[in-house]
Amino acid sequence: MKKIISLITAFCCMAVFTACKKKNDRAITPADGKLDKCTLRFSWWGDDERHKATLEAIELWNSIHPEIEIISEYGGWDGWTEKVSSQMSGGTEPDIIQINYDWLATLSPDGDSFYNLNDLSKQLDLSGFDKEILSFGEVDGKLNAVTVSVTGRGLFYNSDVYENLGAEFPQTWDELISLGDIFSQNGIYPLDLDIQSGGTAWYLAIVYVQQITGRDFISMDGKLGFTADDIRMALDFYKKLEDHGVIRTIQTRTDEDGNAALYQSPEFIEGNVAGVLEWGSSVGKYEAVLPEGALKTGPFLTTEDGTSSGWMIKPSMLYAVSGNTEYPDEAAAFINFLLNNSECARILGTTRGIPASRYAHESLEQNGLLTGLAYESDSMLDNLDTVTISPYMELPRMKEFYNTAIEQVSYDLCDTKTAADEMYTSVSEYLDRLK
Amino acid sequence: MKHRQYKNPVGVGKYTGLLLISPFIAGFILFTLYPFVCSFVLGMTDYRSAGEPKFIGLENYKTMLSSENFRKALGVTLKYAAILVPLKLIVSLLTALLLNLEIKGIGFFRTAFYIPSILGANLAVVIMWQYLFTADGLVNQFLELFGASPVSWYGNPDASIYIIILLRLWEFGSTMIIFLAALRDIPRELYDAAKVDGCGCIRSFFSITLPQIKKVIFINLILQTISALQEFNAPYMITGGGPLRSTYTVGMLIYDEMFKYSEAGYANAVSWVLFAVIALAVGLMYLVTGRRERDRS
Repeated sequence: MKKIISLITAFCCMAVFTACKKKNDRAITPADGKLDKCTLRFSWWGDDERHKATLEAIELWNSIHPEIEIISEYGGWDGWTEKVSSQMSGGTEPDIIQINYDWLATLSPDGDSFYNLNDLSKQLDLSGFDKEILSFGEVDGKLNAVTVSVTGRGLFYNSDVYENLGAEFPQTWDELISLGDIFSQNGIYPLDLDIQSGGTAWYLAIVYVQQITGRDFISMDGKLGFTADDIRMALDFYKKLEDHGVIRTIQTRTDEDGNAALYQSPEFIEGNVAGVLEWGSSVGKYEAVLPEGALKTGPFLTTEDGTSSGWMIKPSMLYAVSGNTEYPDEAAAFINFLLNNSECARILGTTRGIPASRYAHESLEQNGLLTGLAYESDSMLDNLDTVTISPYMELPRMKEFYNTAIEQVSYDLCDTKTAADEMYTSVSEYLDRLK
Repeated sequence: MKHRQYKNPVGVGKYTGLLLISPFIAGFILFTLYPFVCSFVLGMTDYRSAGEPKFIGLENYKTMLSSENFRKALGVTLKYAAILVPLKLIVSLLTALLLNLEIKGIGFFRTAFYIPSILGANLAVVIMWQYLFTADGLVNQFLELFGASPVSWYGNPDASIYIIILLRLWEFGSTMIIFLAALRDIPRELYDAAKVDGCGCIRSFFSITLPQIKKVIFINLILQTISALQEFNAPYMITGGGPLRSTYTVGMLIYDEMFKYSEAGYANAVSWVLFAVIALAVGLMYLVTGRRERDRS
């Protein structure tokens, strides 16, 4: 019996080390410039509108390239990062992946997990992209992904509620805080910030501090730009928003909504919460639950003297080809179709934000599709002195640090200085560890 | 003494037994033992989803000891199990006693009480819990009817764990069915004899029912303890582990470290500690009940 147990254990240990070794030996399929008959898997996250448009675009692809079948894998954002990262760990990821900006830092830190798209130029036309926009998808000199659209978080308000109260959309931070005092007399909140997957609470606080100090929170190469005092200023600002009734406290928000997202919350749908900070590319789900035309784009807040810097932009999403794919040319051809084909651009519209590709942009312009909240918000951002979000800023572990500090301040568990010092230490140590 | 040889009538050899159980053995090695050993080895590595595992010995376990998050998650898990398991056993047993009565239409009630168990913590249940426990939910409306002040179920870190406990308590069907089967196996003559001797309902329960089903109580205790210590789904769906990590269990910590933060090495180390905690809890229960058995005999 002992022999059998020893044999089994030895087998398992061998299997473990063999499995670990195999990952090193992965061979990248070289591009041959030809399109062969094959089946490709394509995964993306999004809302129903995006799913519907993408499936329609895939139908169009199938009619043009019946020899290259596309299998769709799609779902909502919640849990999607976990799904893709576990696929990447096991080497079972799809051939073509819609990725989030921060995934480049976590899933491909050396630029080897995704295919270098510069090697696929025969199938993928990148002439419609600005050099700066392409650089968002570069890791260690390799083009790991192509930016689909560039977006930033904007302020969107329920105009019906504002009109009923005779209030104007705020232009400055001070006006926003004064609105809180007016709205709270009616038991309504002019804005909502959260510490869920969106993490808008910390986002707005750092926009404020970046505007005041002119310092970026985290640089593109992962250095913390804020001092502990800057972090404290951000937390003080957040607390001020709660104290003036601009936003609900975390306890009130959790009590009213449970674990539900804001667009599913009766408080938002019934107009008791009248504003949201959201990516231009994802605002559709908030628009859909309110009466038609009720949600309107608000101005980007400035200081009293009109300084508007500090607002941030990032690639809303990127397309990448798995380093494990056996069909890199075919995958590149499909990405090219999604990014540059004018008919595909018409079908996809602005479901992934305003396209970064010049060709897709022109197609939308010709078809009169450059309208709506996403377009308005992104156009307003174009006129501001924006900051590009560091991919390190949105890492899940970093969000945990922000949310812990915000939650402690909101629940009055400690003063803002203590929370800021703790957060400064955690963030600094984590960023150092990543290097 | 002469060793007697038995000849197999169908002519199979001495390895037939092994051959017959080989599908199970193969499945066990591939799907249980292999991941088990893998997990232990990975627990001693620094392994992120995009890199190669780097052997770091017991470093993950040291990190765990100094981690506030781990200590809090372990505390929440133990508190959750300590409250839920006894409550669930009591509620299941009392309901099983009621459902053991021979009354008309009892089959309907037995089915009805079992239904929550098959629902789990799915989306429909999450929405139902929101209707019940949010600020304007049915429970608070009900409390206000009696002049009581509303409770901050979701937002208060001291109260939020109870809505998770309540969900699992509501799903007591499986435990109850096991109790019911055991109750129905108790010979009626024992109760009849006790009745003749002037024994009342309560005395019968403590002197006949409980001793007769003590092994089943023990089985349910073990099963429910294991399941409670591994809890993940209910807090993940209902509260997301909040507020202030007051419902953040070790199961959620393992999930987050593995899939959200891509720290596979650390996640595997935590899962081994959870395994040790469960083994310790079950071992203690066996030890206590075994000693009692020996004392009695």
